Amino acid sequence: MPIEKHALWSFFSSVKLTITLLVLIVLLFIAGTFIPSPDVVETFANHLSPGARKVFLFFCLSDLYHSWLFYILLTLLSLNLMICSLNCFPAIWRQYNAPHFPEPEGIFDNLPQGRIITADQESGKIKPIVESCLKKNYGPISKIEELRGHFFYAQRGRFSLFGVYIIHLSVLIMIAGAIIGSVFGLEADINIKEGESVNVANMTKGNGLYHLDFSIRCDKFTVEFYKDGTPKTYRSDLSFIKNGQVRRQATLLVNHPITFEGLRFYQSTYGMAPEIKAIVTYTFAGEKGGEMSLAAGDTFSLPQSRARGFVLRVEENIMRIGPAVKLRIVSQKKDVQFWVFQNLDQIVDANPGLLTKMPMFNPGLFQPFVFSLNRLEQTYFTGLHLVYDPGVPLVAIGGLLMVAGLIIVFFIPYQRLWVFIKPQDAKISIRIAGRSNRNDGQLQKKIDYLCRRIDEEIKA
Amino acid sequence: MKHTLILSWVTFVYFASFVLYLFRLITGKEFWGRAASLLAWAGLIAQAIALILRWKNSYDLGMGHVPLANLYESMIFFAWTIILIYLIIEWRTKSRIIGVFVVPVAFLAMAYASIAPDISNRIEPLIPALQSNWLTSHVVTCFMGYAAFTIAFGCGLIYLLKNKETGGVEKPAGNSGKLPDFETLDTLIYQSITLGFVFLTIGIMTGSIWAHYAWGSYWSWDPKETWSLITWLVYAILLHSRYVRGWRGKRMAILAIIGFGCVLFTYLGVNYLPGLHSYLRA
Repeated sequence: MPIEKHALWSFFSSVKLTITLLVLIVLLFIAGTFIPSPDVVETFANHLSPGARKVFLFFCLSDLYHSWLFYILLTLLSLNLMICSLNCFPAIWRQYNAPHFPEPEGIFDNLPQGRIITADQESGKIKPIVESCLKKNYGPISKIEELRGHFFYAQRGRFSLFGVYIIHLSVLIMIAGAIIGSVFGLEADINIKEGESVNVANMTKGNGLYHLDFSIRCDKFTVEFYKDGTPKTYRSDLSFIKNGQVRRQATLLVNHPITFEGLRFYQSTYGMAPEIKAIVTYTFAGEKGGEMSLAAGDTFSLPQSRARGFVLRVEENIMRIGPAVKLRIVSQKKDVQFWVFQNLDQIVDANPGLLTKMPMFNPGLFQPFVFSLNRLEQTYFTGLHLVYDPGVPLVAIGGLLMVAGLIIVFFIPYQRLWVFIKPQDAKISIRIAGRSNRNDGQLQKKIDYLCRRIDEEIKA
Repeated sequence: MKHTLILSWVTFVYFASFVLYLFRLITGKEFWGRAASLLAWAGLIAQAIALILRWKNSYDLGMGHVPLANLYESMIFFAWTIILIYLIIEWRTKSRIIGVFVVPVAFLAMAYASIAPDISNRIEPLIPALQSNWLTSHVVTCFMGYAAFTIAFGCGLIYLLKNKETGGVEKPAGNSGKLPDFETLDTLIYQSITLGFVFLTIGIMTGSIWAHYAWGSYWSWDPKETWSLITWLVYAILLHSRYVRGWRGKRMAILAIIGFGCVLFTYLGVNYLPGLHSYLRA
């Protein structure tokens, strides 16, 4: 084939190139793990002279795994892999279809003692015994009759010749999956405060925004700790809302992502929202009114009147007398502001007549409503990581193929056996020899076993 | 804490086994070898019992997880897999010689785990990222791989020592005659590396699947991931140079030792680099 003589072709079909490329990739990885994180590199680059900085950033040393240097090496390796495979295929194919006879030259010379069995019976009786023994252990066999004597051939694990192809194909499939993932994939982060709905995510790479065509509400975020303070559970109760309807409610845990409309959501981080929620209840003319969860700046309405309420302040510890909220209620007739203390009873006990002296501290200033502050709650935000990676199935298939290929290559050798039955003087000699592409010791044991079996059968 | 007591005894048992393997090498008497194997088996079983007790203990403490969750537990398990794989090879090959070079590695791992001041042997609760069914399969396959590579390393050392003494020529007499022949060593190196390679591949893959569920990406270029890939590539280079370029003997031995250096760095060295696997830092 003329193509094989092409200089470029032979360059790419050499295993020396493979080994060189693998060594270079290893060196690049080693460098990659020792180069500190991108922001440290950035500060370092800023200390360099403008020229050196340019060179430094040109080589993309801050992120070697996504540098053009690495991509070139990977492209060369893929080309090398494909061309090597194509190049070797005819030879492997010939090996796969190798004729069973004649046997490799000299294979029956200098056989050790145990590999030659001599028998007194005539060859017509011996042959079926040998044949059945071989068939029992190796399945279908082939035979030939020559002037020299009778030959049998058996083989095992012939398909393992293609194991190498399975492995190399799996590498290419995984590289393809990784490329598809990085080109068509998406990674973004969303922080959602408890009670809030969000439909915009920040792209992890770059500063772009990703608009979802649904929104996610964080109904509750919970963090639990073990006795020693180690975090035990991070849990977000989420609602996925589309066209104003809750389509799905689910609990998101670390290690248990949720998939919604092709996007996978991960529990990635959490934090305290800057504001604190006040749980405020009120009574209307002595009857139970309702409970509200309010943050500073929130507005609320009171169904029993047309008044609007505003939360002016939420304080954890005002004037060292405990938590309080400052509300403003506006109706057509009135516009009042007052504080609602959590520990009102104790405060009044300590300062009798306070509420008449200081109407600002009276939670019943907007009659006939009386407000009370039950408790303050810290609000959390949950940090979700969202991923779309269409390359994952390919990578998974590649992984499975690779393990299968490795097992075939390492543990299933291609073994070939020849048996030579030769009339010698008045007796008959049976010689057994074999070839294996790897792990010769295993084959020798098998031949020994076969010799013993045949010997026993003949004697029996 | 019964299991810690057993584990400290096991540490001494492995040391004693190593000493007996050494006796066997020096005196050439198989009696010492049999005693050494017996001790190694006893240590292996005792350690398995200790690991099960520790597992049970974690449930009693209300945490309930496999004893594979921190540096201490991984070191103990590493020692156990080394002895396990070594004893299987010893039983398969009927040769006790590499014990002298492999059993001390297990002893050192055990000793380091219990003596190093920055390694805590307390049972610690599992943080949310580690609460996964993939933890066991990932850690077990990785350490099986590490252990097989350790055996290859031991054989590589013997090969080089013998090579230095004899200049590469087989001599039945003298000290080098007590060592296994070059071909056996070469086969052992190759076979343990193929075993380790398959385990490492599965280990990296189970890790990828786990990362896919925990972090949202099957590969994040975290230093430990990258170093496991470096290790994998080093052994891939070794296998290719054997298959295609026909490298044997001394070159294999040297590459097996380099590969083991990568294994150690992947396991321990990486902990000093920042990354996602940082919970292994003591």
